[in-house]
Order: sequence, then structure tokens, then C-alpha cells
Amino acid sequence: MATVESLDDDIGHLRDRIATLQAHRANLTSILLSQPHLPTRLEQRPVLHERNRRNAAKLVQRQSNRNLENVYRACAGVTAYRVKDPDPCAVDNGNILGVRVDVSVGGRFVETYHVLFNRPNAAHKTTLKIHKHTVPPCIPLHPLANKWLPLTRKSAEEPREQDLVKFGRRLRKELASWHLRLEALEKLRKDAQLPGPIAPRDGLHAGSEPGIVLNAFISDDEDSQEEEGSDEQDDAPRISSIDGDAAVREITLIWSNGRVGLFKVTKDGEVDKAAVRTKEGTRDASLSSKALGRIDGLIQRLEA
Amino acid sequence: MLPTPNTIVPDYRNVPHSHRLPTSHREVQRTFTKLSRQSLASLANQWLAKKNRDFCRPYLLGDRRLDGGDDDDEQYTPAQSHEELQEIYKQLAARKGGKREIQHRILDGDWRTGISMYQLATAEIQYLLDHTNSLRWTAKRLAKIPNGKNLSLDMEVTNDSEHLPRFQAQTFMANLARELTPLMKAHYLLIKIKTMPMTILRVYIHDSPYSTEASLALDNGSSDTARAVFFIWPNGSNFVYSSIANHFGQVISDDGRHLRDIVQQAIPKAFSRPSARYQLASTNFTTKSLDALLAYRGPGKSNAASGGWSIFQDHNFSQNALDFVASQNDHGKEKTGTRKDGAVGATAKAGPGRPKHSLEDKETSAAKRRREVAAGRFGSSAQPNDGLGLERVEVRIDDAFPAMPGAADDADADTSNVNEQPANRNRRGRPSLLDRSLDEIEELEDGDAWVPDVRVVFQGSHVFAGVRQLVEQGVVDGEKMPGWMTGEAGVTIGAVKQGRIRTKSGQVPGACV
Repeated sequence: MATVESLDDDIGHLRDRIATLQAHRANLTSILLSQPHLPTRLEQRPVLHERNRRNAAKLVQRQSNRNLENVYRACAGVTAYRVKDPDPCAVDNGNILGVRVDVSVGGRFVETYHVLFNRPNAAHKTTLKIHKHTVPPCIPLHPLANKWLPLTRKSAEEPREQDLVKFGRRLRKELASWHLRLEALEKLRKDAQLPGPIAPRDGLHAGSEPGIVLNAFISDDEDSQEEEGSDEQDDAPRISSIDGDAAVREITLIWSNGRVGLFKVTKDGEVDKAAVRTKEGTRDASLSSKALGRIDGLIQRLEA
Repeated sequence: MLPTPNTIVPDYRNVPHSHRLPTSHREVQRTFTKLSRQSLASLANQWLAKKNRDFCRPYLLGDRRLDGGDDDDEQYTPAQSHEELQEIYKQLAARKGGKREIQHRILDGDWRTGISMYQLATAEIQYLLDHTNSLRWTAKRLAKIPNGKNLSLDMEVTNDSEHLPRFQAQTFMANLARELTPLMKAHYLLIKIKTMPMTILRVYIHDSPYSTEASLALDNGSSDTARAVFFIWPNGSNFVYSSIANHFGQVISDDGRHLRDIVQQAIPKAFSRPSARYQLASTNFTTKSLDALLAYRGPGKSNAASGGWSIFQDHNFSQNALDFVASQNDHGKEKTGTRKDGAVGATAKAGPGRPKHSLEDKETSAAKRRREVAAGRFGSSAQPNDGLGLERVEVRIDDAFPAMPGAADDADADTSNVNEQPANRNRRGRPSLLDRSLDEIEELEDGDAWVPDVRVVFQGSHVFAGVRQLVEQGVVDGEKMPGWMTGEAGVTIGAVKQGRIRTKSGQVPGACV
């Protein structure tokens, strides 16, 4: 008798297969629709219903729009588009200029960010103001906007010079370097043979601690200096954790013997300041100086 | 027994992790009765971990020998070692049963000598993580106080510039303690949460000049007010959420509020360093849901793209640049249709005019259209089950009251012509205000129109999901509804002028200064 599990399994397999086939079909469709000269051929061949021809032409048009958009996005990195704010009360009749930043890391596009501008000043139609955006707060969007897209102060009537192109370029640089630093941090973890960070919302109840207590040092306990260093006697201390802040401007390394290293990273991925302290609190100058350099080889330099 | 001299002298120390409260203390009882069985077992195991043992000493067999104790009426025999206890709690966690079993074991058995401050703090944080809607949070922003001299320097973006306040746990704690210890004694626990992108600081306020264990236990009988204050820093942003940890039904007295304010005032000072001073600025956002806080004032992409703009956050609208598949019957694509159509040049609210799709749906075309309008206005936000509910949204309407005689006519006209937005605004009677900047409230008094103080409060478990449902039901006209009703302004309190939430001029939404 077929058990419920095996039936469920079968259904699951079928669903997977359907999904694969659908993806395949969609892929083939887009290839077919992207054929050169397809619109002309559609025009020339006789069809049974005129409506089908119109439908097909519409699909081809949509596909070619998509292709064009993607080519621009993939090659330029920063692209602009127009959207309409559906808010009936929006300024400037809801005309919105969108700027899209595509970030690619390691040959694939990892994330897309949007900055949406409106024109708050009816007198100066070229003055743009950030309306909405999806840029994380660890990216200095506001300073960038202040520099390249300044708005009129109340007193000064004339708007200040704005440079959207430079703004977009700088923003893309910030975003791309952030993603590269994130990637480098992941690679450091791999170099040190550590598991990746816990996925959010995973295993809150796995019996593990919900977090790392950062101020255990503040305890005024006199007799806290007992055992706990039992695994300290290993000859080669391992790196037990690698942690970075959200912007990956600061990396914290903890060794299994209680040594802690703090490394400041510049935006282009250079470790420019380092401080390594042993468990007793003395500075390890040789390790600190070894750490300086590109972020990529940090682990190798430290373990060398 | 006379207390030793150094215990009665007022001192300048923090309350250490290892100080214990008697198990009968009200705070202890309250916290432990709230926790679930699973959480209690997990906590006990954490406390027994090697690194935490200094802070959470259980009552072991060895301790009883020291006491020379009375072991006739005891319910739980003390364990031999930490390891044995760990085994016991692991078994308890694996077994089914009531939470009382573990609660009694902890309070009357293994920690009968008292619950340490560290244990109490971790227990409360555990409860907070289990029930992310249990407290009311106010989101603030750490804003740099502009410094006249190097104003331009501050805004410079260079290869190694920082635009966020630097958060160094040790330095921060030392600074905070320095600010606070002259005023009060407190126990601090700073914990970086693994499962959510944030760091929690719990401050247990001990309003006494002493930091001894005896004085901690003493204020058992005094007024019943909330003593703990929570602060949360979402990672990689300059926001701070603050809350008073009051138990259900417990009042927050003026004293508690005052102490909270003292701690709150000390926080920007603890962040500040020479030539970079910070202050806490309001962000007009209060809610109970931590998830909503992380979405509206968090570390991610969603801060300044709420409401209908949420489509820009996910891959719904921004597909991969190398994804060439423009599928035909993609439903997500349909949802973005409203905006896309608008971009092409049709009217904003025309909705995707594709009625053919409704064949498989049983709803009428009007209902479907309303649903699509709602999808266009709300995007992927404001779903009833997304867990991002705001409970209370309050706005003040600063627009002029519509002229009395024409009021009824206006309402009629509104329903008839949908697309004439400029005309719409003109009928509000303040065409002169249309193009002006929004930031002067004095304008209202100068103008001759009557601007009454009208306030609208939305309340419920998920305000904007409710508005969305009203739009889908046709109660609220989704096309003429102002944008702030979709939640896109990202505030829970604000003033509306010309249909928009008033913002400070030149401020980037969700900005970090």
C-alpha cells in the first residue's frame, strides 16, 4: 500500500518538475520572442485572426523593451526611469524620476537600489529632491545628496547647482564597495573555516543563547578569574569568531584563547587600523602591524 | 549581624551582574511567571554554561554543606555539579509538561538563594524576543549636532569617512556609566542579538545610593513601578528605540518616566566624542511591534520606501538585470502595473486595464478594479499577516477647511472627475499655498482661510492593512486617498498639509545625518 509519505513525495516531485518545466518554457518563450526580424515576419505572414497578430506583436514589443532595459542596466550600472506617484496630493503631479543602481559582485547582479526624486520647486523645474529611496542607512546617502544635490535654502532664491550624474556615480561607488566588503567578510569567514552568520529568524529556540553579551566585562566580580581558560593551552589558537558591523567598516576577530582584534576597514577594502589585545589586555603590536593591508588576505597574514 | 562598613557607604559602582535578588522579589516573580516552559529551560541552560557561571551561581550540594543546612523540608535536592544540572534541564526541555515545573525548580530549587541581576536581565530579554509586541517603543534618531567650524567637513564623503555614530560597546558602556552613576545605581546588560539585526541594552534602575545586594533586595516593598528600561540599536543605522519595561497592568509612574529620561539623556552623551556631539531627535514613530520598527526605522532598505513604494524594495519591480524572461501571466508584474502604466503616460489611476484576467475570479469587475487600485497604492505592504502592524496613527490636518456653501458640491464633483488633479487642489481654496514650501506654520495664521485643528486617529491591530481593506471594500476611494493613508510617510504621528505629511525642508526621508 502506498503510504502517505510516498504519495506526498510523488506530489512534491511533480510540483518540482512542473516548476522546472515552466521556467524552461518561460526561458524558451523569451528566446523566441527575442528573435531578430520577428516583428517583420509577423507582419508578413498571413494569420487567421488579426487579433492574434496584434497580441503577438505586443508580446514581442514587451520582450524587446525588456531586453533593451536589461542591456542598459547591465552595462551602465546606474539607470534612470520615470514613474508616476499615485498619490493625488503628490507634488508636481506625481512625476517621479527614479534612479536605479545595480550592484554586481563576482559576475552576478546581487542587489538593486532605487532612489526616487521629485521636483518640489515649481519655479525651478530642474531642482530634484529625494522623495523615497531603498538605500540602507549604512550608506551615506544624505551627505552625498547634500553635496551633489543641494536644495535651496529658504533665504537664497536661486537654487544651487545640482549634479545628478556625479551623485549617481558616487552612490553607486558606495553601494558597490559596501557589497564588495560584505563579500570579503564572507570570504574571511570561509578562510577561517567558520560557519556563516545565522540566518535571521532561525533557531531562536534552539537552546542557544539569543545573543552575545557585550558588557560581561562590567561585572565587578573579584573572583571571576578562575578556570574558563581550559582550552587556552592549545598551542595554536584558532579564530573562533569573525564579526563585522553592518557597513563592514570594522571587523572584530576573536581567537579561542581570548585574544581580540579590532580592524578598521576603509571603504575600498584596506585594513588601515588594527588593534589586537590579548586576554590580559596587553597589546599585541606585531599582530596589529601584520594585519594592515588588503582585507582579502587578512586571515593569511594573521596566521602566517 | 552587623553589616560590614563598606556596604553602607554610598559608592560609585554599578550594580554587578552577580548581585542577587531574593526569589520572592516582585520583579523576579513577575518575569518568571511570564516565560514559557521552553524559554525557561533554555535560559537555565544558558546560565549554567561555563562562561556565565560567575553571574548565575546555582545552589549546589557543596553550598549546603557550607550552610550546614537544614535539609528536611526541601523540595529539590541540590545537584552535585553544574554538569548534572545542565543534564536535568536538558531533560526537562525535551519532556512535555507545564511551565510551573521548571519555574518552581528554578526559583525554589536550584537558585533558591536568589536570582542574579544577570539572570533577571536575560530572562526579560528572552521574554522580549519571544513576544516582540510586548512593549511600546519610541524610535529616536541620533543626530549630529552641527558644528559651525567643520560643517562642510562633516558632510564630506571620503574613503574613510563615517556618517554614523560609532558604537563601541566598551567605550559606550563606560561613558554611560560615568554619566549615570552619580545620579543612580543601575545594572546594565548589553546584548547583541543574533537572530535580529539589533543590540539591546537593558538598564535596571536601582534608585538608591548603594549598590549592595542588601539594598537591592530592600526596595521590594516600595512603590510598584517599572524599573527596567530597554534601548535597542538596530545594526548599521543611527536609530535608537526606547521603552519602559512595564509588566502588564503595571503603571509607569512619573518617577519611572523621570528615571527613563535621565538614562535617555545620557545615551547621546555616551555616543559623543570630541568634535562629534550627538543628540536624540524624534522621528515621530511609536509602535509596539519590533518588526515594524525594524522595517520603518531599521537597518535595511525599507526605511524610506514604505506604503506603495514597497514594490521598490523587493525583486518584484527590480528584477535581476540579467533576467530576460518577461513572462506574460506573472501576477507580481500585474501589481506593479499601475505605476508602470503611469510611467508610460496614461493617467496614474487608470489601473491596469486588463479585464480579461478576471475570468477565473468570481469577483465583480468593480471589486477587482478596487483590489488592483489597492495593489497599486499599497504595493506589497499593508498585508494583514505581515507582522508589521502599527497600532496607532495620528495625524493633524493642517489644510484649510473647505468653503462652507460649496462643500456638498465639492464632494459630488470629487466623485465625478477623477483625473483632474490640479482642479482638485484648486477647489481646496488655497491655490496660493500650492507651490509654496511646506515648512512654515505661521503661513496658516497669515492666510485668510479657516484652519481648524482637526485630528484623525487610526487605531487597530494593523492600521494600514485596515485602510487597505477599506479600499478593497470600496469604503475609501483608493484613487483619491492621500498618500499618507497608505503609510508611505512612515510616521505614526504627523501633520498633514496639502495631503502630505509635513516634513522638514531638505530632509531626506529616513536619512542619517
